[in-house]
Amino acid sequence: MSNAVASRAGLSTRRLAGLALGAAVALFVLAGVAMPDSTPGKVLRVAFTKSALAATLRLSVPIAFAALGGIFAEKSGVINIGLEGLLIISAFVAVYAADVGGSVWLGLLVGVLASTLLAGLFAVVCIEFRADQIIAGLAVWLIALGLAPFASQAIYGGPNTESLEGSFGTITVPVLSEIPFFGALFDANPVVYLMFAAVGLSWYALNRTSFGRWVVASGENPKALDTAGVNVTRVRYAAVLLSGVLAGFGGAALSLSLGQFIGNGATMVNGKGFIAIVAYLFGNYNPVGALLSTFLFAGLDALQIRLQAAAIIAVPQSLVRTIPYVAVIVVLALFGRTRIPEAAGDHYESGED
Amino acid sequence: MATAVHLDGITKRFPGVVANDDVDLAVRRGTVHALLGENGAGKTTLMNVLYGLYEPTDGQVYVGGEPRRFDSPRDAIDAGVGMIHQHFMLVDPMTVTENVTLGNEPRKWLGLTVDEERARREVVDLRDRYGFDVDPDARIEEVGVGVQQRVEILKALYRGAEVLILDEPTAVLTPQEVDDLFAVFEELTAQGKTIIFITHKLGEAMHAADEITVLRDGRNVGTVPADEVTREELAEMMVGREVLRTVEKPPADRGERVLAVDGVSVDDDRGVEAVSDVSFSVRAGEVFGIAGVDGNGQSELIEAVTGLRDPTAGRIVYRGEDVTDWSRRRRIEARMSYVPEDRHERGLVMDFDLTQNGILGSQHSDEFACDGRLDWDAARDHAETIIEEYDVRPPNRRAAAASFSGGNQQKFIVGREFERDPALVVATHPTRGVDIGSTEFIHDRLLALRSSGVAVLLVSSNLEEVRGLSDRLAVVHDGEIMDVVDPESATEEEIGLLMAGEDPSDGSGPVAAGATNEGGR
Repeated sequence: MSNAVASRAGLSTRRLAGLALGAAVALFVLAGVAMPDSTPGKVLRVAFTKSALAATLRLSVPIAFAALGGIFAEKSGVINIGLEGLLIISAFVAVYAADVGGSVWLGLLVGVLASTLLAGLFAVVCIEFRADQIIAGLAVWLIALGLAPFASQAIYGGPNTESLEGSFGTITVPVLSEIPFFGALFDANPVVYLMFAAVGLSWYALNRTSFGRWVVASGENPKALDTAGVNVTRVRYAAVLLSGVLAGFGGAALSLSLGQFIGNGATMVNGKGFIAIVAYLFGNYNPVGALLSTFLFAGLDALQIRLQAAAIIAVPQSLVRTIPYVAVIVVLALFGRTRIPEAAGDHYESGED
Repeated sequence: MATAVHLDGITKRFPGVVANDDVDLAVRRGTVHALLGENGAGKTTLMNVLYGLYEPTDGQVYVGGEPRRFDSPRDAIDAGVGMIHQHFMLVDPMTVTENVTLGNEPRKWLGLTVDEERARREVVDLRDRYGFDVDPDARIEEVGVGVQQRVEILKALYRGAEVLILDEPTAVLTPQEVDDLFAVFEELTAQGKTIIFITHKLGEAMHAADEITVLRDGRNVGTVPADEVTREELAEMMVGREVLRTVEKPPADRGERVLAVDGVSVDDDRGVEAVSDVSFSVRAGEVFGIAGVDGNGQSELIEAVTGLRDPTAGRIVYRGEDVTDWSRRRRIEARMSYVPEDRHERGLVMDFDLTQNGILGSQHSDEFACDGRLDWDAARDHAETIIEEYDVRPPNRRAAAASFSGGNQQKFIVGREFERDPALVVATHPTRGVDIGSTEFIHDRLLALRSSGVAVLLVSSNLEEVRGLSDRLAVVHDGEIMDVVDPESATEEEIGLLMAGEDPSDGSGPVAAGATNEGGR
């Protein structure tokens, strides 16, 4: 019996910590509402503005697209840790193509193509040549991290490209965009609407189509799928290529929205591909869940940028900048209840015993 | 009656091995046909040829009278041949319906969407037609093995199978589920389906099959009608010589008390009490057997004795010392050997070769480790000794344990544990999934240890085995020892009643109120 008590206690420690965190956040919000002039009040005022929501949506786009891509790949059994690299390559190629072709939409298309090609290379290495998926994924990141700024250097004479003339512009819904705070949802960049559409389509594909079933089976028990007469290799190729397409949308949208590719240091992608992995894990491989956790991280990111500017709290800016990453760790430690596909990371070869 | 399947002169060679040698097999439509043989007799290989997983080196497959060439299971399925493997090919988080229709989903809306209503209706129709007790909306991970097996059968039927091949279908089932499965066989054959099932258990073949084909060393030894053959004849066909089914052993020469379990209670993984206040002792030179239906606390009790699980109450005394709090390592060093029930989980590291597996548990001993280094030469010699002494037949010396047959894996584990110079051997299901030849060999070794004064604690759900080997036999039910009996004088019925939680001396009433319901099946 003592074991049972101990294990129940162990579980409740985690739940307690979660509850305590929730209570602290609630208390913070309450204090902010009750005393608008206190520090919590000022933080809330910064957080709940239309511009903060607009920034959250904008920051969400690359993370959400990459997360969707990651879901398809990992559900099929191929862990694609190279999402960061796919974002980087598509971010650069999109700007270059838009610069040469003179259209941001052309840039988007070519950016997606570049990311898909790189994902295809990753797929061949992992599926055909049975390379370790984690190592191959890191290679994708490192290749892109080196290649994109190098290409920029060669073409534009620096790690950053020149600024584009055109942009996507915004789609503004009359009346609805006037709503306070939520109005930002109806006054946004077309890529934001694309993101919502992609989430819905991905959910549908995974849950309602045969292809979705096959992807799930391929990641859980590939042999079951194989004996059912479906080619596992083909399903996995399709899923990884799809992850390239989706991540490509994310990367291209990121750079084209800004009108420039920034290749300094970790580039403008700056870890968004890795946050995307956390987002879909936290969302338990559900596209909608992944979108919601993306909003959480992107929202905190938008908040920290504003907190830095507003200087409400007397904390060094470099610490404020870590807020989204601290949130990632806290969220994973306290709420992570992800069920990883049984065969994720494993090679599969038909006819093996 | 028409022939459903005809294999004509099938030969299948692998590099260095002839798995099937000119095998003929004819199976009549609407019958149950058992493919009987020891481990490694080539039963599964032959069926994989029929199912299109292997291409035969020589010979011809006929299905429904027509010559066929299967390049993949897909071809076999299209020709109406379905196979249910030993390890189920099911996707755990998916529902029964989703699994049955996987790869053949009915679609709607230009093929973009799975027609879930139709899929469910088709599965329900199929289920009702064959009288299966399966919930189409249950997730695979939520249902038992028996149901999972029926889902596999439904899967094959959904794809239009006329001939069903089942590879060792009873290996994972409880006796009750085995009866259910055989009832399913009858229902299927009544509706004209043909069943081929692979087994190494004589009793099952005789009970469930219409005809039995015995394979030995890749050859067809003969096909016989099930109701015209005796167990002895079948056993002889399987191993190729007269089999002595009774174990002969001299009377026990009991010595000092080696192990005493005193009022021990143990919890299972969920924190529920699995063993309640159990006491017994084992003396040098005797075999103390524990019989019972699996899952009545045997595993937890043995784990407490061997130091893999902490008891919640009671003491374990080993050679005069209280070892209740001793670590596993200390117990090994005190010459306690353990043949675990799950050889893949606890007995071997499947990726290791025999040299590495041979020193598991001895990696600290001076014999193989000096100055923090492992002495691989000594380890290699040790593995060689086990291979020689215990008749282990590896594909090659450097092969990983995973590539061995179950019987050879088990013989190696038994060899490793018996070669430790033990004072106590704890053996759980030492011959589970092992063929007759290897079983006899392991039994002989166990009795040789007993003669040399080793105490043996034997757990087995195979009543024949545990009765034949034990000097004293404890029967457990629901975490308690019902009685300790003399295996020679107690009848099978008496022991059976004790296993079901009833006291034979006391009429037919249950011993503990409410205990029979859970433990009976």
